[in-house]
Amino acid sequence: MKYLPLIVKNALRNRRRTLLTTSSLAISLCLLGVMMALYYALFIGGQPAKAQARRVVVRHKVSIVFPLPLYFREKIAQVPGVEEVMLWSWFGGVYKDARDQRNFFARMAADADRLFRVYQDYVIPEEQKEAFIRDPAGCVVNKALAERHGFKVGDRILIRGDIYPFDLDLTVRGIYTSTDFDDDTLWFNWKYMENMLRNSPRLMAGGFTLLARSEQDVAAISRTIDEMFANSEAPTKTESEYTFGLSFLSFLGNIKVILMSICFAVTFTVLLITANTMAMSVRERVREVGVLRTLGFGKPAIVGLIVGESALISLLGGLLGVLVAEGLCWVVRQGPAIVQQAKTLTIEGPVFAALMGVSLAVGIFSSIVPAVSAARTSIIDALRFTD
Amino acid sequence: MSQDVVIRARGLTKEFLRDSFHIVALKDVDLEIRRGEYLALMGPSGSGKSTLLHLIAAMDRPTAGEIEVLGSNVASMADSEMAKWRNRHIGFVFQSFNLIPVLTALENVELPLKLTHLKRGERVQHAATALKLVGLGDRMDHYPRQLSGGQEQRVAIARAIVTDPDIILCDEPTGNLDARSANEVLELLRRLNQEFGKTIVMVTHDPHAAHFATHIRFIDKGELLPEGKKPEDWS
Amino acid sequence: MILPISYNLRNLAVRRTTTLMTALGIGLTVAVLAASFALVDGLRLALEASGHPLNVLVTRKGAESELASNFERRVFDDLKFKAGIARNAAGEPLASLEVVTVINLVSVEYPEGANVSVRGVTPIGLEIRDDARLTEGRWFTPGRREATVGSSIAKRYPEARPGEKIRFGRGEWEVVGIFHSGQMARNSEILVDLNQVAADFGRESVLSSALLRATDEVAHQALINDLQADTRLNVQARSEKAYYAQQTSSGDLIRYLGTIVAVIMAVGSCFGAMNTMYAAVARRSKEIGTLRVLGFSRAAILVSFLIESLMLAALGGALGILLVLPVQGLSTGIGSMVTFSEIAFQLRITPQTMASAFLFALAMGAAGGLLPAFQASRKEILTALREG
Repeated sequence: MKYLPLIVKNALRNRRRTLLTTSSLAISLCLLGVMMALYYALFIGGQPAKAQARRVVVRHKVSIVFPLPLYFREKIAQVPGVEEVMLWSWFGGVYKDARDQRNFFARMAADADRLFRVYQDYVIPEEQKEAFIRDPAGCVVNKALAERHGFKVGDRILIRGDIYPFDLDLTVRGIYTSTDFDDDTLWFNWKYMENMLRNSPRLMAGGFTLLARSEQDVAAISRTIDEMFANSEAPTKTESEYTFGLSFLSFLGNIKVILMSICFAVTFTVLLITANTMAMSVRERVREVGVLRTLGFGKPAIVGLIVGESALISLLGGLLGVLVAEGLCWVVRQGPAIVQQAKTLTIEGPVFAALMGVSLAVGIFSSIVPAVSAARTSIIDALRFTD
Repeated sequence: MSQDVVIRARGLTKEFLRDSFHIVALKDVDLEIRRGEYLALMGPSGSGKSTLLHLIAAMDRPTAGEIEVLGSNVASMADSEMAKWRNRHIGFVFQSFNLIPVLTALENVELPLKLTHLKRGERVQHAATALKLVGLGDRMDHYPRQLSGGQEQRVAIARAIVTDPDIILCDEPTGNLDARSANEVLELLRRLNQEFGKTIVMVTHDPHAAHFATHIRFIDKGELLPEGKKPEDWS
Repeated sequence: MILPISYNLRNLAVRRTTTLMTALGIGLTVAVLAASFALVDGLRLALEASGHPLNVLVTRKGAESELASNFERRVFDDLKFKAGIARNAAGEPLASLEVVTVINLVSVEYPEGANVSVRGVTPIGLEIRDDARLTEGRWFTPGRREATVGSSIAKRYPEARPGEKIRFGRGEWEVVGIFHSGQMARNSEILVDLNQVAADFGRESVLSSALLRATDEVAHQALINDLQADTRLNVQARSEKAYYAQQTSSGDLIRYLGTIVAVIMAVGSCFGAMNTMYAAVARRSKEIGTLRVLGFSRAAILVSFLIESLMLAALGGALGILLVLPVQGLSTGIGSMVTFSEIAFQLRITPQTMASAFLFALAMGAAGGLLPAFQASRKEILTALREG
């Protein structure tokens, strides 16, 4: 690497250009980083959070909008490997003004006494938990959600019913946090539903969430449950809560294609910008290439010097880009929980490696053409060259 | 071939195609240069003297004829071989100095040594020695733009001799210099020839510069004139 | 005195590789913006083209969507004789009681399955949907487990093509035909017999909604007001067009994402343009000095370089629009937060999108060119002549 000092000096020759190119690379690659991090989290290497890995969701096979009979809960509880199971129901409804997106958050009814046993990542003061379980009109809310809307323990929250023919008048009994991720959810006591829908055929579960004894049991439990209900009035689809969350993705449009297209466009733009910089730099230095070759530098050394410079600039841009991308991931983590993967978004090892790979490739491909053509120019022509 | 002939050209011819014009730069040149000789090649612009220099330095290939430098048939070498050979045996001095602007004087001189197996410490030591030899021991950390033209050219000469080549080729080394600086450079070249026994071929059209050489030959319209003969219209 | 445009054009042409690379960088950025707009516009146009101007959609009060609505049959029986509802040749009111549900089908785009709306209607319901034409097969027969699917459904879901059977409710439904409507959103529905599907889902008395056809525009508004005010019925009435228009917000996320990405990319491309223009200024230093000697003012130099940068960007904008044109007409689907099912639509590049994409490119050119142009204009004549 005795050429490194020369490469560094060459890169610093036109400081403004190098600065502009590096910043341009950093900006574009940070975008690429976030997109790749999302893609990775959603489709490749996303891992459920620790407590979540054991949670399994049972829902109607045809669609989430179809309810399941309540007695399924006891049948599910008897499946080997199931530690706890709770029912839940999506209440929907309208909080304040539905047109304001911020007023949209999950409002779910659930078995109050089982909620915290299934969601073991939830952290809540013991007395708040007890108060919630005791109050048939009580609810608990996630801390981030509570902060956004200013909910405090003891507050009343009114939700107008739309799917169900009644309104909710709830009292906040507790505010929970999670050791995994904030889920922006309001959970209220299932007893509220029981009281309102007494003797109604509509008193059904939206679905069930169970806690498996171990992560290894999840697959077997899912199979057993689906087989058990295959020929019942309501066939089920059982999957890990993590996979279940992903099934809502197609709702946002074809995220896979959109992410891929953006990644492609960004990479290509970066390639163009770097290639342009290198083409300009090399053009200004053709004479010097002639001098170097007169001194005895061979063609490979010339190509190495130019490609090395380009690779250095793009790797530097890539590194800066990763740093900014990690910052952007932090911003995404603060955003709304559209998908849970967004709440834990970060630049994982493989994404980092891929980004550095892209940077290196951009550095090499953007300079290989001007480098080779500069090296190929005859010494005499190179020495005579004027830009 | 007698031992002390270091450059031998036979029927050397070089033709160019420039902008669809066919140009004969060198026509059937025969030349022998002995070890320790200091030859000034003179002639009007476009006479082909630089082309001859380029062919000797293996920077270009002849269209016809043979050229043997230090016993090697340089025209038949592969590109990478040529480069290595040039690094080891030839020092080249340009009219416009051609120093790398982002490198200091010392780093410029060290540059050709990067192609050798010398360690960093040795490279720096050699470069410093060469710079001291050209009288610039106190300018090592200066960048080219901080040096005068004469100093720049002396750095270029240091760069040319740092690999201890057998032959030094100079292409109008004083062309861009004022009279005083030119004299310094010419004195230096003469020292290299006399004290260190370097073979020097210098292209120039300045009679004063040519005066420092041991031999003078003229080239006119691509033809090497016999010793002692000048072009007809030469003043 | 202003330098001729041809001077800039020639300069761009002389350095065509650099010009093209910079322009393409700008073009790709523009393409990203235009593509995300094309998605959103496609969705918006599909939804705007949906709904008949005289139709009124009635749901239970408080229900934001048909899916969330529980609409009782007796309420329908009460409202179908309201004043202002058009009648068919047989004298029956054009009022259709409907039930909407969602099923999951495997699509060509989403192998993991996507939600699709199934709508139970009566013959009157088909009569109100006079915009729908059969393109293949026939309509379902009332009383049979048959389905006629919208053209987008047939295209996107291999399971839902004529001759296939779809499983939902209490059994299989045979697909017997395909319809197509100019009202794009309708093509994303599967139509079946109301009573069959209501029985399957145990919703004989509690259905989803009613679709009414008003006699004329005045009656349309009056009917809505009348229904809204009727506390006994406790329903929500709105124009069918408004119901669809409201779903446009489903594309918001893509619009935000596209815009953010394009803006970030724009900063990068801007730096690229800046590099190119700085190089142009450096390269033409002597020229700038000469021009100044000839009497061109600093302002003329500034304007000239700025124009050159804008021309570079304009080329980029044009390239970007060319790049994005092939997505025109591509069909895709997005989940509607209102119907909880997929709306299929085609990407549309509108003239407005092209105009804003082009302006976006020019903005990049202006931002990238300003500093270099300023630097060029600030050069002292003598220094400029010495440089380069």
